[in-house]
Amino acid sequence: MKLQTSYLALLTGIVTASLLIGCAAKKETPPTASASVGHKTSDGKSVKSGDDDLEEYGVLLIPDPLEPLNRATFTLNHGIYVILLRPISKGYTTVVPKLVRTGVHNAYENVKFPIRFVNNTLQGKFDRAGLETGKFLVNSVVGIGGLGRPSDHIPALADIPAGNTGQTFAKWGIPHGAYLVLPVLGPSSVRDTVGLAGDYALNPVSWVTILFGGYAWTLAIPSVNTLRSLPVQMDIYDAATKDAIDPYVAARSAYVQFREEDAAK
Amino acid sequence: MNRLLLTLATSLLVQGGLCASTQVPEQRLKTAVDEVLAQAKSSSNPDELAGRLGPVLQKYLSFEAMTRRAVGPGWRQFSPSQKKEAAKLFTILIIRTYSSKFTPGMNPEILFKKAATPAPGRVEVPTTILYQGSKYGVTYRMEESEGWKITDVVIEGVSLVANYRTQFDSEFKKGGAEAVVGSLTQTVDQRK
Repeated sequence: MKLQTSYLALLTGIVTASLLIGCAAKKETPPTASASVGHKTSDGKSVKSGDDDLEEYGVLLIPDPLEPLNRATFTLNHGIYVILLRPISKGYTTVVPKLVRTGVHNAYENVKFPIRFVNNTLQGKFDRAGLETGKFLVNSVVGIGGLGRPSDHIPALADIPAGNTGQTFAKWGIPHGAYLVLPVLGPSSVRDTVGLAGDYALNPVSWVTILFGGYAWTLAIPSVNTLRSLPVQMDIYDAATKDAIDPYVAARSAYVQFREEDAAK
Repeated sequence: MNRLLLTLATSLLVQGGLCASTQVPEQRLKTAVDEVLAQAKSSSNPDELAGRLGPVLQKYLSFEAMTRRAVGPGWRQFSPSQKKEAAKLFTILIIRTYSSKFTPGMNPEILFKKAATPAPGRVEVPTTILYQGSKYGVTYRMEESEGWKITDVVIEGVSLVANYRTQFDSEFKKGGAEAVVGSLTQTVDQRK
């Protein structure tokens, strides 16, 4: 019995060792031709290897019948960013301490709750709508009006993909329509421009202007909203266009990919 | 005795699981990300950062595959010297683009999520970057050929390779391989 046991122990050792070697050896072998059979990556692109991988990435297209106009707007926006918005954004991040900026940013994001709630509901994501409600309550109460974001420390609430109106339209199967470069706001499409209008209507920040328009103080609320979102906007613009062969095409491609990812959430 | 048999069976299962798992590329990616972050943290200006990241990225990224795929089917019409030139220039561009995503001195937190295996010899590792209260989703695509290498970086759904693919395509339609190499030279020279 004892002998048998030690045999078995030895066998276990040998099997383990041989598997480990097999494991290691497998990793050294270059990919075989079998890998060139078509596969799909998570985003549905077909995957091939070897010399056939040239069509791995398709050219992302969005109808752009207004390209000449869009290019002109794009150039205009670039000028506005460089001359006006980037210095303002720099000034804001230099003058206002980070702690305050984070608080302001959190508060404005928190108050956008109706956009996320309504769109999650319209897309039938009732669980997310519920989670958003919980997040809004926690941040409004414990986070003092949304200045803090204690929801980050609650795993279920830390990572809820944000809903928006353009996303709802995408879920409903409405196509992008033509690509549009909006003045100042930048890349969009017909669908997402209507979506932006929806987001605007659902944002309490705009309600203030609509309800109390005419009073000078109401201007401060959307203005601060613009200020706090500028640094992020500038970053996104820079990331998409810096080192681009053709910044216009790069921004358009980035926009389409970004919205596709958003719609898949 | 029975316990030993169980051990044997378990070890078989565990080893089998390890072979098929995504552990090796994930570990490789973690090492790469750690190295990049160490450089980002200790650099004091963007130029220094880009200079330091170059050699690190050379180790972990498959620039040749990235260039080929960014150009697409037109690659077949490139002469050997055009291929070489395009790969050289595109490498500079990728290092620049990637470096510009980092601020010298930054110290973000990176969370690695469960890796996916879209095909044999391929792994996709989604990560979340937490930096100054913002979250960014970054997925690394990796492939096994002479070890595991990164073949694409997808930031918030925007793939680095796909973004250049669309741009190169319009250049290629304008004037073939020559136009692609020309546009690359121009873009690289712009910021010398």
